[in-house]
Amino acid sequence: MTIDRDRILEVLDKTHSGPVYKERDYNIEVVSKNLKNAVTKYGLEKTADRANPVNMDDDLADRYYQAGFEAAINIGLMCRDTSRVITFNREELQAGIDAAPKEFWLGDGNQRVLYQHRKPEDNKLPVWTVPLSIAVTEDVFLPLVESLARIPQVDALEGPSLETVWGHPLRSGSPYEHLAGRYQADLMREAIKRAGREGMPMDAVGSSTTHYGVLGGYGVPGGYHPKHDLILILSIADFWTSYESLFKLTHASVTGGKYISASSWVMLGGYAGGPEGTAVASVAYTLLMIAAFQGSRTGVPPFDIKYMGNCGRRAQWALGIANQAVSRNTEIVVHSINNQVAGPATKMLLYETLVGMTNLAASGVSNVVGTRSAGGRRTNYLSPLEHQFGGEVYKAAAGISREHANSIANTFIPKYEDMLVEQPDGQSFQECYNVETLEPTAEWQQMYDEVRDEAIQAGLNFP
Amino acid sequence: MINEKITKIKTAIIDGDSALATSIANELVADPDSLNEAVEIATETIRDIGDQFEKGDIFVPEMIIAAETMQSFMEVIKPHLEGGATRVTGTIVLATVKGDIHSIGKDIVATRYRASGFEVIDLGVDVKPMDIIQSAEQANAQLIGLSALMTTSMPYQKEVIDLLTELNQRDDFWVLLGGGPVTPEYAEGVGADGWAATAAGAVPLTEPMLTTDGKPTATKFMKVER
Repeated sequence: MTIDRDRILEVLDKTHSGPVYKERDYNIEVVSKNLKNAVTKYGLEKTADRANPVNMDDDLADRYYQAGFEAAINIGLMCRDTSRVITFNREELQAGIDAAPKEFWLGDGNQRVLYQHRKPEDNKLPVWTVPLSIAVTEDVFLPLVESLARIPQVDALEGPSLETVWGHPLRSGSPYEHLAGRYQADLMREAIKRAGREGMPMDAVGSSTTHYGVLGGYGVPGGYHPKHDLILILSIADFWTSYESLFKLTHASVTGGKYISASSWVMLGGYAGGPEGTAVASVAYTLLMIAAFQGSRTGVPPFDIKYMGNCGRRAQWALGIANQAVSRNTEIVVHSINNQVAGPATKMLLYETLVGMTNLAASGVSNVVGTRSAGGRRTNYLSPLEHQFGGEVYKAAAGISREHANSIANTFIPKYEDMLVEQPDGQSFQECYNVETLEPTAEWQQMYDEVRDEAIQAGLNFP
Repeated sequence: MINEKITKIKTAIIDGDSALATSIANELVADPDSLNEAVEIATETIRDIGDQFEKGDIFVPEMIIAAETMQSFMEVIKPHLEGGATRVTGTIVLATVKGDIHSIGKDIVATRYRASGFEVIDLGVDVKPMDIIQSAEQANAQLIGLSALMTTSMPYQKEVIDLLTELNQRDDFWVLLGGGPVTPEYAEGVGADGWAATAAGAVPLTEPMLTTDGKPTATKFMKVER
């Protein structure tokens, strides 16, 4: 498969011919109202179950899919550059979903990785990509990424995000980002070489949210490889997109790229409303991202606006049911994110990981990118150990039932739910690791050992 | 009769019924003695709505529509209020800085300010530093609020402050910073005047700035950690 240029042109034409809205009217009158209507029409009011954060009802998941499909047709995607909505009718939306791959390979040589569609409770092994684009200083980048690449459960690399390029502050939307694209590719390749994992797939470009990093680093000599690596298209805001994102798609097309990660997020408590509206929004936005951006892996996880994470009860519920809805009703490679808020060297981060990753594995998610250590708030606040734990849990949970995942959620959420708003930052990489030996401190190692034991007692079969 | 109208204001704001709020306001201005009580009730109602949002009982659309209703009501009432009856308000220019298109946090802050009677000039997202300064000048604003949700867009918050300093306009505006990765230490370090942890803290952060005789550069950095 390749990127379909005719489909790109159709979408670009829609950015100039779709209905026009002012920002406020689109957010309130189109997004919010259509989500509310879909929740009402499909009888989804008050179906979010705080007592059971992992949904176990297939019929309910299917109704969420139908509601999301209809909402996608009615809402579309707002292009912020033209103030017009990119709309898809039922046939166009379905054609986009049908054209998405059921499976594909990324990477090279003995590091090739199979990304494949999974159903809820599927025992097919999911793909674990690390870390998220959390800012790190340049001195930390190489040892941290090398250490992450050494983790056997890690299949692919995405972040972190550089804070500076050759000592100069990295500014979004500027030529610094253009330089950072290729610079990050060089650093990542060096790190995986040191870790003995040359050929490992990478997502382009963690340090750059705008298209400039992709233009500078993907498909250029020595940069990210169009056939082995994913290009990251991340639309930032509920049902909004932009030429920045579309430039990434056109760049993939002109460089012979094959694989697109098309994703975004929805805010629980924002324009989507409560957990029910948010789950419908997650489904709808996922389907729209596939149709508009030809996503090879696609997903739109929720963030709870109260604490900017998704490990609390209502967000876990929305996360699980939305992923079940899409994985049960399509054959796409579902992507998602577990958004923790606690930092490294805290047990809370590991508990959040345990709950989120079991839910995602049991809900049919094919590929998770993580970990959102310290909520991504602080520079250098991530470490390899929580990423190792995330991969161990995700893979051990492949094939477990949703009842089991729900029991894990109910066992471990009470250990941290009171701290979701006043979250602990924990320690930086340099504080909880020996940067020379790449070993965790005894204190952090002990926390990991204890929570790992708890996870085993909860029924997860770790290798 | 007047009491009944005052009670109805509460309903109008909760239901987001701007037409009803405007109609009640037009009737109330005929009886200036009732205005202070009406404004008090409306303010209390919008504060309750903000609290419900913080608790997660209502969501952004309901809060925005309630704030718009409050605004419609106040637009009619305000010209008829005695000086002492108005609250401390001002004009704030809000923007998510260049290179950053995160919107919802700024939208919530804008709603909070509007509900508190501030004039809000919302420049949107991905706004260049000089455009922010020029807009603040044109609006004769006292305050500039800058949101950044990425470490790579935070340098543009500093750039606004640096430009104001180099233009010898630093004391023309109080500059407030916010956004997920923006810490109070960072905000103070780059020369901002204030920082609030959440949207709920933004208005309380601002009030002392508007009542002091001190200039921004001569006033201690302020923060609201909630």
